Amino acid sequence: MLFPTIDFGLFFVLSLALVWSLNNQNNLKKVVLLGLSLAFYASWNWRFLLLLLASGAISFIVGLYLDAKHVRRYREAVLALGVALDLGILAYFKYLDFFIAQVLTLAHSLGLNPPIAFVNVTLPVAISFLTFHAISYIVDVYRGRLTPSRSPVDIFLYISFFPHLVAGPIVRAHEFLPQLASPRRAGDFSFGENMFLILGGLFKKMVIANYLAVRFVDPVFTDPSQFSRFDLIVAVYAYAIEIYADFSAYTDIAIGVAALLGYRFPENFNQPYRALGIGDFWRRWHMTLSAWLRDYLYIPLGGNRHGALMTARNLMLTMLLGGLWHGANWTFLIWGAMHGAALVADHWYRRSAAFLRYGSGGLARAIDWTLTFHFVCFTWLFFRAPSLDAATQFIAGVWSDNGAANTMPAIVPPLIACGALTQIIPYRARAVIGATLDNRGTPAQIAFGFVCLYVIIVMAPSASAPFIYFQF
Amino acid sequence: MPDRPASSTNAWRGIFTIYAILALAVFAFPGGMVDWLDEHNDSGWLAAPLALARGIDAASSAVGVKGIGVALRKRFADIVGEGDS
Repeated sequence: MLFPTIDFGLFFVLSLALVWSLNNQNNLKKVVLLGLSLAFYASWNWRFLLLLLASGAISFIVGLYLDAKHVRRYREAVLALGVALDLGILAYFKYLDFFIAQVLTLAHSLGLNPPIAFVNVTLPVAISFLTFHAISYIVDVYRGRLTPSRSPVDIFLYISFFPHLVAGPIVRAHEFLPQLASPRRAGDFSFGENMFLILGGLFKKMVIANYLAVRFVDPVFTDPSQFSRFDLIVAVYAYAIEIYADFSAYTDIAIGVAALLGYRFPENFNQPYRALGIGDFWRRWHMTLSAWLRDYLYIPLGGNRHGALMTARNLMLTMLLGGLWHGANWTFLIWGAMHGAALVADHWYRRSAAFLRYGSGGLARAIDWTLTFHFVCFTWLFFRAPSLDAATQFIAGVWSDNGAANTMPAIVPPLIACGALTQIIPYRARAVIGATLDNRGTPAQIAFGFVCLYVIIVMAPSASAPFIYFQF
Repeated sequence: MPDRPASSTNAWRGIFTIYAILALAVFAFPGGMVDWLDEHNDSGWLAAPLALARGIDAASSAVGVKGIGVALRKRFADIVGEGDS
């Protein structure tokens, strides 16, 4: 049940009325929201509900034992156990077969034949996001940012809340749990802004991302040997726009849907392709993942507190694990390693005398932007390629022209331009449009929403690509 | 929080707005809803909503709204060359 489907549309309109009709009975409302979230998750595979419930149970029980009244060593042991259980579930479902494959490859290269078999387990939807939410809760309790919740419903709802369940944004426990304490007020949110956010998300996904994926990017990455050098190069930039349009669309719809239900989610994107430097890029791209990795991995590893070498090690480790979080594949590890190395270089450069002297000039900023944007696009190649072999084949195709004719569809440049436009429009535009809509009456809001939806449906291709982050 | 105008402070007004937008979209493009209900109507449990959706489909066709949507979709698909793929 993904967002731009009739299934989700029906589910959402029913949820909206049900949730607001129970707003003054907060406990009952939370139970209903939990039931809706479990039904949402079960729509993929009801068996994985057990996984969701196990993750919630671990968080709830561990949270209770992390109470500040216990001694520190005891709390540390409980925290380690909770994190190990959460990561153990993730490792089993997501990484075990990858690990076994590496062991078997190594063993075979040494002439050994160990009796190890693949577990061949189906990857549950949203397991990575689910794990990060669970860890966020127990670490926040351990650090004293939250008092342990005595309500299992609150914890299960935090982990399974359907707008963020499948592909984020990663909502931290201390951001979400306090919102469950009282009935919500619709007046805390701009209806116009959230309607605009959802419609904009639908346009980005159904028009920009779907056309780019179906008409150009997917065929090129499936068999790069059939395409010209020009097509291959454009496909990399087209994918950069596609992944932004796809993922930011999901996030925008999630934020808008949550707000219409009365809950606030953090922002996840801030025009990332405007970034000046790779550090800046990670402050603008998948911001909730960056913040999670910073607070729960980079800083506990030591952050930048122990000298340049240790900082470099911590940045590399964080980005390698961040890469691996996206999937059990060498391509993601290489993608993470490239971003880690770039972050180390960026960290050193920003503290160098050269940057202090020249870094704020127009030319330096232009060079900064150019290098950052093209580097990020190049790394997307590894992120998108199905295997390392496919990535090297793609690069070889760019290096040595095979003489194939250019086949890029005419729709691609306007779509790339449209994606680029989303990086230029002032960030405040959304709030201004939202406020303008709020100041108009209901008929004007209906007319605006209907015309936007009509245009999206007219323009949307008949084929649709799945959300990219759905697989993580 | 800044004061919001009345149109955004009432959740039910927002819900009505959303329902109205979706109802208009279903009237403009009734085919999707009919197909969806048809697909999910294995044991006949959606017979009533399916009959309603078919009624909306017929009404939309009768006043020409459905035809305009279909023609515009086809026109746009032709412009971007979707029919060639």
